[in-house]
Amino acid sequence: MKKSWLIAFILLLGSSLLLGGCNGQQAGTDRDEDTINISLNADPPKLDPAYSSALVDRMVFQSIFDKLVDLDQHGNIVPMLAEKREISPDDKTFIFHLRKGVKFQDGTDFNAEAVKFNFARYMQPDSVRRNELKLVDHVTALDPYTVKVQLKQPFAPFLAVLTDRAGMMVSPAAVQKEGKNFMNHPVGTGPFLYKSRIKGSTIVLEKNPHYWRKGLPKVNRVVYKVIVDPNVALMNLRSGDVDITNKFPPREIGRIINDAQVRVINHESEGYQGFHLNMAKPPFNKKELRQAVDLLINREAIAKVVFGPAGSPAYSPFVPSHFAYNPDDRPETPNVKKAKELLEKAGMKNGFTFTLKIPTTPAGQQVGQMIQNMLRPAGIHVQLEKVEFGTMIEQAETGNMQAVALGWSGRPDPDLNIYDFLASTGSQNYSHYSNPQVDRLLIDARREMDQSKRKAIYDRIMKIVHEDVPYVYLYNEHDVSGLSKNVQGFQYIPDGLIRTAELSKK
Amino acid sequence: MLAIPVVFLVTLMVFSLMHMLPGDPATVILGQEATPEAVAALRAELGLNKPLPVQYFDWLSGVLHGNLGNSLVDHTPVAQLIMERLPATIELTLGTFIVATLIAVPAGILSAVRPRSLTDYSGTLFALCGMSVPHFWLGMMLIILFAVKLGWVPASGYVPFFDDPLGNLSAMILPIIATGLRESAVLMRMMRSSLLEALQADYIRTAYAKGLKERLVILRHALKNALVPVVTTSGLVVAGLLGGLVITESIFSIPGFGKLIVDSIFNRDFVTVQGAVLVSALLIVLINLLVDILHFIIDPRIKSGKEVG
Repeated sequence: MKKSWLIAFILLLGSSLLLGGCNGQQAGTDRDEDTINISLNADPPKLDPAYSSALVDRMVFQSIFDKLVDLDQHGNIVPMLAEKREISPDDKTFIFHLRKGVKFQDGTDFNAEAVKFNFARYMQPDSVRRNELKLVDHVTALDPYTVKVQLKQPFAPFLAVLTDRAGMMVSPAAVQKEGKNFMNHPVGTGPFLYKSRIKGSTIVLEKNPHYWRKGLPKVNRVVYKVIVDPNVALMNLRSGDVDITNKFPPREIGRIINDAQVRVINHESEGYQGFHLNMAKPPFNKKELRQAVDLLINREAIAKVVFGPAGSPAYSPFVPSHFAYNPDDRPETPNVKKAKELLEKAGMKNGFTFTLKIPTTPAGQQVGQMIQNMLRPAGIHVQLEKVEFGTMIEQAETGNMQAVALGWSGRPDPDLNIYDFLASTGSQNYSHYSNPQVDRLLIDARREMDQSKRKAIYDRIMKIVHEDVPYVYLYNEHDVSGLSKNVQGFQYIPDGLIRTAELSKK
Repeated sequence: MLAIPVVFLVTLMVFSLMHMLPGDPATVILGQEATPEAVAALRAELGLNKPLPVQYFDWLSGVLHGNLGNSLVDHTPVAQLIMERLPATIELTLGTFIVATLIAVPAGILSAVRPRSLTDYSGTLFALCGMSVPHFWLGMMLIILFAVKLGWVPASGYVPFFDDPLGNLSAMILPIIATGLRESAVLMRMMRSSLLEALQADYIRTAYAKGLKERLVILRHALKNALVPVVTTSGLVVAGLLGGLVITESIFSIPGFGKLIVDSIFNRDFVTVQGAVLVSALLIVLINLLVDILHFIIDPRIKSGKEVG
């Protein structure tokens, strides 16, 4: 009796393996030419632009929602749902002429009332977008397809803000129907509509048959798969279960150059990584000590050792693709003697000790250890404390730290990468930095519409910031994705987010 | 019936531990860009301003009315989240257990019957390797071989069993083998040592003296007694698997229960963590009950409370 059971079990297992083998080609209808599979390194927490705070949400949003304006491959702002725009001479009034005949995926019309509704929703107190639209005074629908946005004061990054979540148009009817549950049934005007989701595993989107851009999207389905480990994502890319990965293991980049199946897209991101020095507390209430730390760090070494081809050294919040980037803004060569002089000036001749909070990722730890070694020759001892991300944000906000390694994923306009971090009242000014001159210049830069004049202001700001050192800029972690060679129509956009409408498969 | 107070204590402990964690849920949920007003609004909405005992009893009274509450992150009912995640983990656990038993029991018996033979040494070596090889490494090797090189099964692509049974099995077979091999090592060692011990007993010598065949002695007399500790260990293994497959679930992107708990902890989604832990506590109580029943079936002496030799 027992034996026959055993045999039955073995047969069952064996047959399921075999059947699985035969079925591999169709499992989950994944290898279909009409489906693009994209792996994401985290499960998108909230599919609602009003409440989203994760980078990975924005990947999925590109397929479901259209924005008033978008970015092109050079980072220029181009029309999307707003066909044309007019800006008043005082730079405070924006008039958007909307595209006609666009419908939300639930069949309702996209029009000026919908735009007004979306602005109002993003500006509610509980919305995470509120800060980005703080300078909007009011929004009026002039006629069914014309919207006027009145700003409280000129705000140069305004259009750049509208290329991202704050410019994404969601269906008012769907919001009214679903309320807070909208994030589980998102409806926009985008090329793909939300179909189903298995939380923690897959998000399935289907072609929007009434999409306003003729002939698009090119495939019938986009499936986002959550694959946390980039090495596993790469294996999925090789096996054909995934067509695009949003992260790529840095060490594999060099090996892939002559690969027949896989292409690597490697670009500098718009963000930066580094660490805040808490100026409200000893030891970093002393300027010389901050300068000494900044002076001892060899950014090139960090980028090269930890990230190889997937990172570059950074010395400011701006990357070369930003107009505000200044190629002459370079750190001094690390100099132990000079650092010791600074310590002596601050009355800390024998050095000092501080705690740096670092993330729990392997890369974060490696960077921490390199900093430790670079500061030691001058007698500065770094204690590394690994902190999980949720805790880190809270400790940064409450000021319960001496130094914390928190970076920024980056935005298309320079203001969005500097203002909130360095202005006295900035929402992410974890360094407690306050320099009235910098505050004034930051506001000037916001109000200046001329790019070359704005750049000149940012150059002046960075000069002061390098003197004050509230934050130690370290490196830029690149956006690296893997792409199957079967995928056609891929275009890299500087915000690093994958646009799916034009993708197709051979 | 100690089970009810145990489950109650577990919920109280999880509640306290979660609230001891640094990191305010409203801050974590809204992220770096949120304004202080948004954080305050969310705190009020989530009831985080109420005193802790009030929060706990609110939750508990909900549970007693059959309502596990809604996720703090996306408002999905926790019961729904658990029901979405549990089937994959139960399938993975059962599959793992079947694979582990199919390998461990025969291998353990062979090793024990011929101690210090080549079979025994290879069995022990296998167990040693099985215990030492990390899940994630084995998982990746299986993906490289069966999904990338041979293309027999997909590297990922979980579908619920009732939507597409074959697709489901082909996606689950690799993770089941990856964890099954490891757990088989645990069970095999237990099987071997417990059978070895049983084979030293007097009644075995008596059985041989009666002229019984070796097969009969081992399968009828020794195995039955040797199974008791193996069943106990199996209960522990299964209980551990229910919440402890996070790494396997991550590598094969299976929406499992372990990953739900871990993700919810990182998101400070207290309500989901509490609901999920409550359900796993209940499941473990259930498994313990099953193990007790199995003990009784295997060895009727257990009922009368006598010591088992």
